[in-house]
Amino acid sequence: MLTELETKLLGVMMMVIMLGMGASLTYRDFLIALRKPKGVLVGLVCQYGIMPFLGYLLAMALGLPPGLAVGLILIACMPGGTTSNIFTYFSKAVLALSIMMTSVSTLVALVAVPALLEFYSGAAGITGDFRIPAGNVAQVLVVLLVPTVIGMVLRKLNPNVGASIELLGGMLGIAVIVFLIISWVPRNYQLLTVTPWYVYFAAVGLGLFGMVLGYSLAKLLKQDNNRSRTIALETGIQNGPLAVLIVTLTFTGAMQQEVLLIPVLYSLFIVLTSSAVTVWFRRLSNREAKARDSAKVGALNPT
Amino acid sequence: MLTPTVPLSPQPWRAAYAAAGIVGDLPPPNHASLAALVHSSCVAYAQQIAYTCVVPNGMNGSLTYAQVDAHSDAFAAYLRQTLKLPPGARVAVQLPNSLGYPVVAFGILKAGCVLVNTNPLYTPSEMLHQFKDAGVEALVLIDMFADKLPAVMRDTGLKHVIVARVTEFFPAVPNLVVRGVQRFWSRVLPPITVPHVRLAAALAQGKAALGAASVKAYWGDLKAGDTAALQYTGGTTGVAKGAVLSHGNLVANVQQMLAMGATHMTPGKECVLTALPLYHIFAFTANLLGFLSIGARNILIPSPRPVQNLQRAVENYPVTWITGVNTLFNALLNEEWFLAYPPKHLKASIAGGTALHGAVAERWAAVTGTPIAEGYGLTETSPVVSFNPLGGGARLGSIGIPAPGTEVRLVSDDGADVKAGEAGEIWVRGPQVMQGYWNNPGASADILRDGWLATGDVAVMDEAGFMRIVDRKKDLILVSGFNVYPNEIEDVIARMDAVLEVAVIGIPDGQSGEAVRAYVVPNPEHAAAPTAAQIAEHCRKYLTGYKLPKSVVLRDELPKTPIGKVLRKDLKAEVRAEFAARK
Repeated sequence: MLTELETKLLGVMMMVIMLGMGASLTYRDFLIALRKPKGVLVGLVCQYGIMPFLGYLLAMALGLPPGLAVGLILIACMPGGTTSNIFTYFSKAVLALSIMMTSVSTLVALVAVPALLEFYSGAAGITGDFRIPAGNVAQVLVVLLVPTVIGMVLRKLNPNVGASIELLGGMLGIAVIVFLIISWVPRNYQLLTVTPWYVYFAAVGLGLFGMVLGYSLAKLLKQDNNRSRTIALETGIQNGPLAVLIVTLTFTGAMQQEVLLIPVLYSLFIVLTSSAVTVWFRRLSNREAKARDSAKVGALNPT
Repeated sequence: MLTPTVPLSPQPWRAAYAAAGIVGDLPPPNHASLAALVHSSCVAYAQQIAYTCVVPNGMNGSLTYAQVDAHSDAFAAYLRQTLKLPPGARVAVQLPNSLGYPVVAFGILKAGCVLVNTNPLYTPSEMLHQFKDAGVEALVLIDMFADKLPAVMRDTGLKHVIVARVTEFFPAVPNLVVRGVQRFWSRVLPPITVPHVRLAAALAQGKAALGAASVKAYWGDLKAGDTAALQYTGGTTGVAKGAVLSHGNLVANVQQMLAMGATHMTPGKECVLTALPLYHIFAFTANLLGFLSIGARNILIPSPRPVQNLQRAVENYPVTWITGVNTLFNALLNEEWFLAYPPKHLKASIAGGTALHGAVAERWAAVTGTPIAEGYGLTETSPVVSFNPLGGGARLGSIGIPAPGTEVRLVSDDGADVKAGEAGEIWVRGPQVMQGYWNNPGASADILRDGWLATGDVAVMDEAGFMRIVDRKKDLILVSGFNVYPNEIEDVIARMDAVLEVAVIGIPDGQSGEAVRAYVVPNPEHAAAPTAAQIAEHCRKYLTGYKLPKSVVLRDELPKTPIGKVLRKDLKAEVRAEFAARK
């Protein structure tokens, strides 16, 4: 479990991360995105259609006990993680789309996450103490909207401050996970060795399957390769630190420890899987760019 | 000075001046030199922002007019006192649009030295030719391309290298962020292996050397006829030549440009988007100098490609003017963010460099609700020759009417003026016409005839004085406004073992106006015919991106004259037939 100090630190870090997310876009960006809502809609379907259902399915198929199941469903219902923007940037995919999907899913989270959490918890038969009160989740999200809006205002007032905060927020997203690894993993080393395989499978699989499904849906809706790769990363990468924060604010003691397991494992492994996928995507992207270049030089014998 | 032997042509366009609210008679020069022009503007608008450089994520840095004045004074002192360069020494500048550019360029002018604008993307062999020809003694180079230095330093008289960064004069944090990305992520900062000085250090040294003295001592005596810049261009024959532009040429062209635009300009209130490179004569005169002289704010874009890089700049600043080429306007019109929120303070746009497509002009006017005027000019005329009036009467597909103070004749092959409506070569006379080509009296005599500059471009003029270009100079290929000389490309391709013969011409291109096509005859002695990819790879070693052939066609033989000269015009006819068939 996390100490009081760690929970507070996590809260502060989340604030900065959301500040950074807010600073990554302008009010205008939203309006522009809404004029052609297809990309945003695809993102929302991936985020709140595919992912929660995938989480529920994995929890059922693997027969997870309620404590683990609620953790898995929670992380599956989370909005897109801000780290997806960094991975998108590094994989040379469409950064603007990634930022927009993250932001829109975070705004929609206010309504979608409590509702979906309620729905899938019920469907999974989670009762009593393990239920996360929808009000709690909504509260956390409302609190986080404040720094998001401040970020947007800062961006508008001073682009230099805005862009710096954007970068800081993105870096901190990774820092939080590193922080978890350093502070949480050693203390729970014993627990990790006795954690059964299917828990790992659920934690890793949620991200990986999410990417595969996101990519497939994007392709199905005729998005080009670059956009499809963006949507894949965006779908697979959830806001892990947010889930960890909600768990620590809702549960204590042994219960917290149990519910926290999958969100923490997810957050650790998503960095690894996303990094690997990013390297691969980057290679694909470079190859396609090269192919486009040589196509421009023209055929040897135009007919 | 040659005495004009041809009588003054009648000026049918003068009526159009009045109709559009243009003052037809150019006032006498308002400054003796560019240094005086820059300094007086910097004093008049001291506390206003002169230049803002915006990188794609919106991070930015700015200089006020007073800062531009002070920093360029320091650079002038660095050149004259620290480096001990004499007046008239050539100093090359190879910088993308960034805050270092105005400081350095104005510093050179204030030092009484000669500015040699150079494309930062040039390959070492292109740099070599230009630096040797101009006799460049000092170079200000962007750090991203410092890896080209060893090859260039070895073979030229270049003695001093000053290295600048894109984020010059940025606040500390944005500077750190952008530099961090450049160094660790995009890895575009090569190690610098030759002796050099950083721009910041050069400015500090210059400032110390100057002390309380004034740099006016360097430029106070400059006269209109003194050389301000060597602006390289291939002219009509293919080898890059330096057009000698005097202080008087450029001061006059600034006045001419302002005379054409005055109806849409309020001194001290304008904000111009500068996405075109400042090393190109169009942006150099119009944006860097013209808008500076009316106290405008220049928004400098280091790299306008992809065009999305302009988004934060257009959003964050009240852009009132845009100068561009067809490619840029077309690209903006294909951006969702631009269509949703076209700059709402925009007053007018001007297009040059290459023909502005009618469809683009119409859509631009519809989307922005402001006029866009096409103009015409060339390096040899500083560059503005003609423009469509903004205040009414602009004609689509026309390059407009001569700018005030400019005389234009359309001349037939036998040297006589053609009648209205007939095609003739454009001849220009006016205060903006260059002094000649640097160290090249032969080429100068070819193009400067009795005080007139024969442009090699063929146009027709209607009765109101509006001109329309019929044909570009014979073989020149215009790629996005940049001159590409077929000879140069042919020389490079011909160096390949697998190539027997090659001819290069321009083909129509939807994106860049024209694109380079190479017709290649494979060498039968060689095992395999070269592939398009091999040719492209070979060219990339010697040529800048825009010069690369976009299309390669293999042939068994090339059409030739009886004495064996390749007939480019026959290939062009083929291309015309090919593209006509496609439509």
